Amino acid sequence: MNDQAQLHTLEGLGAAVLVTMTILIITQSTVVVTPQSEMFMQVDLKQTASDTLTILDVAPQIAIQHNLTECVASYNVSTEATLLGGELEILDEELSAILADTMYNVDLAYMDNGNLTVKHVVINGMPTDNSVVARRLVTLYNSTVTNSGGTWDIADGDLLVVEVRLTAWQT
Amino acid sequence: MANLKDDTRGQWILLSGLTIAISLVTVAVLLNQAAVTGYYSSNAALEFPKEQIRDLTTQTRETAQSATLLAYQLNQSSNLSVPTIITTLLENYSMQTSILYASHGETVDIRVSNVSMNTSNTTIVDSIWMNISYYDGNTFYSSEPEIIEVNA
Repeated sequence: MNDQAQLHTLEGLGAAVLVTMTILIITQSTVVVTPQSEMFMQVDLKQTASDTLTILDVAPQIAIQHNLTECVASYNVSTEATLLGGELEILDEELSAILADTMYNVDLAYMDNGNLTVKHVVINGMPTDNSVVARRLVTLYNSTVTNSGGTWDIADGDLLVVEVRLTAWQT
Repeated sequence: MANLKDDTRGQWILLSGLTIAISLVTVAVLLNQAAVTGYYSSNAALEFPKEQIRDLTTQTRETAQSATLLAYQLNQSSNLSVPTIITTLLENYSMQTSILYASHGETVDIRVSNVSMNTSNTTIVDSIWMNISYYDGNTFYSSEPEIIEVNA
């Protein structure tokens, strides 16, 4: 009786089990790769959002008509944005020109009579789980507000620190 | 059975399988290490508050310069000295900034340590020395003193 094939079959089966187990290990371990690309996108988006606020604040008059401080100073504090319309249209236009293909909302945080107040000034939608927040401080004075036509209540010898919060996410 | 024991040709198949398996495991380990490294480097870039620290120092410098100009104006109609007005304005700035940063879990401390006057004209402020510190639970930053030239 020729039983050589039995050993070949067993050896072949052994090799197949080894290869199958290896492929299973590799397939399961690649789960780690998935959040990596997401985080890279978040890092990139956060940097872009921060750079956008910086550019808007420090760009010279010749490059941009109204900088971030002037835009914030022109805000009418008695109003707030809704989904139907924003309150700082100039800022919205400037942001949309820089942040193409990116959705964003803008909030202003400041101290009002000792209380922290947050006002929505631009609303474009509901942020997703992967949204990032970039922040920049602007300092307002009575003269800045008067020149920009806003309604902030700042005394002559006083200042108000306003935090601009830009929430950005990819569509 | 004697033939089965003596026939060793099939061992090549097993050896090949073993070699391929070891190669694939090696590749998988290398892939995972690259992926984990990328994960941690991305996470570190997200966690490190470089923009917050940069914004804090930039805004403090700008505010110190604006506060000095405002102090000269206010001094015309006030009994208070220019350094006193500057200190009051910057303390107000510090208080507001601390609360704004605290609202997202960061501790900020900004203090005026010295208002340096010009030696030849004592009504002009040369520089303001400020102590700035920042802490978000992971990263601590301190600039003591941050010397801000305001006599431009």
